[in-house]
Amino acid sequence: MQSNQYSVKVFETTITDETEFKEFFEVNYTLFKDHLILIKGEMSDDIKKYLQDKKLQYLQNINLPKGRSRKALEKEFQILEAEAAINKQIAEAELKKLSNKLQNNLTVLDDRVRSGHELNIDGDLLLLNRVNSGATINTTGNLIITQVVEGAIRCHGNFMMLTASPKANIVFHDVEVDNSLLEDRLNRVELKNNEIIITPVLKKEINWAL
Amino acid sequence: MGIVIAVISGKGGVGKTTATANLGLGIALNGKKCVVVDFDIGQRNLDMILGLENRVVYDMVQVMDGEANLKQALIKSKVNSNLHFLAASQTKDKSVLDSKKVEKLISDLKEEFDFVLLDSPAGIESGFEHTIEFADAAIIIVNPEVSSIRDADRAIGILDSKSAKVKNGEEVLKWLVINRIVADMVESGEMLRSEDILEILDIKLIGKIPEDKGVIDASNQGKPVILDKKSIAGQAYARIAARLCGQKVDMKNVEISDAGLFKKIAGIFK
Repeated sequence: MQSNQYSVKVFETTITDETEFKEFFEVNYTLFKDHLILIKGEMSDDIKKYLQDKKLQYLQNINLPKGRSRKALEKEFQILEAEAAINKQIAEAELKKLSNKLQNNLTVLDDRVRSGHELNIDGDLLLLNRVNSGATINTTGNLIITQVVEGAIRCHGNFMMLTASPKANIVFHDVEVDNSLLEDRLNRVELKNNEIIITPVLKKEINWAL
Repeated sequence: MGIVIAVISGKGGVGKTTATANLGLGIALNGKKCVVVDFDIGQRNLDMILGLENRVVYDMVQVMDGEANLKQALIKSKVNSNLHFLAASQTKDKSVLDSKKVEKLISDLKEEFDFVLLDSPAGIESGFEHTIEFADAAIIIVNPEVSSIRDADRAIGILDSKSAKVKNGEEVLKWLVINRIVADMVESGEMLRSEDILEILDIKLIGKIPEDKGVIDASNQGKPVILDKKSIAGQAYARIAARLCGQKVDMKNVEISDAGLFKKIAGIFK
């Protein structure tokens, strides 16, 4: 597509007295002959004929887009730039917050947590062993336990994944979770819109009769 | 140098003292020099089960305090000359024990004997901690019931954190004995299966002992049940004692192989 871009000078007026209008153009014809004449309001056929005779370009009752001053443009550009910077900062902070939630001081352990042991973890915990009856685990972050839990769990993270025996005492964000909901091989417990949602990740193994 | 084995359980009444007496005698019957030490200061029982209560003159605390020497305090068994016994003090309490004195006593006994069996008090208090502190190995006695398993679990946890061997970066050998198994109740699901117990405790099984009414009478008479060849519990103790002495004895109704264990024990006496 080929196109040209240029600015035009506009003379805008409203006709109240036709004689006065004509006189004005007689006097200032040289000054306004290259202007686009914009008439607001009514205009008679007489005026139309007059303008056509003078070969003046005219339009009636049209809202032309008005250009702004360079200063005003610069000011607007500065505001936009500042807004973009703030948005970027907010986005970065959100991302950081999210990644903190996803992984926060991850501790990986393969120790059997025996009766009487109390593990206090600041951050996330991945435990690859059992939690025996009489043991306690507290985490400020997320929790994944790959083997059976018979002890007490206090999790304050976004989610936890575990299998609980009926003996276990599971508390997620100060809410006690019903063990019967955690009987599958692996269950995901998470907080969504102030609701605790439990979804089985791995179903209970089925012992087929031979 | 002998091996020091602490006999522990966490919970009381599961059969620690009976097991110590029978395993001590069983080891002696296998021709190894063995001493059994009653660490249950203030509540001594082992002398009665061994039938030696009338022979106690000096006790362990008197040896540690230098009031008697070790030779004077050691009592030889009437049944087998390989078996010796060191009594607990009945008049004092557990607070008289002191780490340095315990270490000295145990190292003296280690020089003299092939096996040093320490009968731990129940619970997890200081008396228990002193028993496990200088042990090379531990025999954990459990009954197939949840409270015994949980207490044993706690005792193993303390063993793994407070033993001198663990503090030096070595491993304390741990062997599980499941005591008082009633086969019918296991089959009917009323009693925990040994697989479940091993799943929870995660240590090696060295033997299972069936419930046997003869044990109580044997203890009352001061003749450990291992001497009764017909007793099923006695036979089970004899098998465990033989395993401790490095012999390969097939597990009865047991599916866990512990071939590595025999090598470990045999290696100690090379």
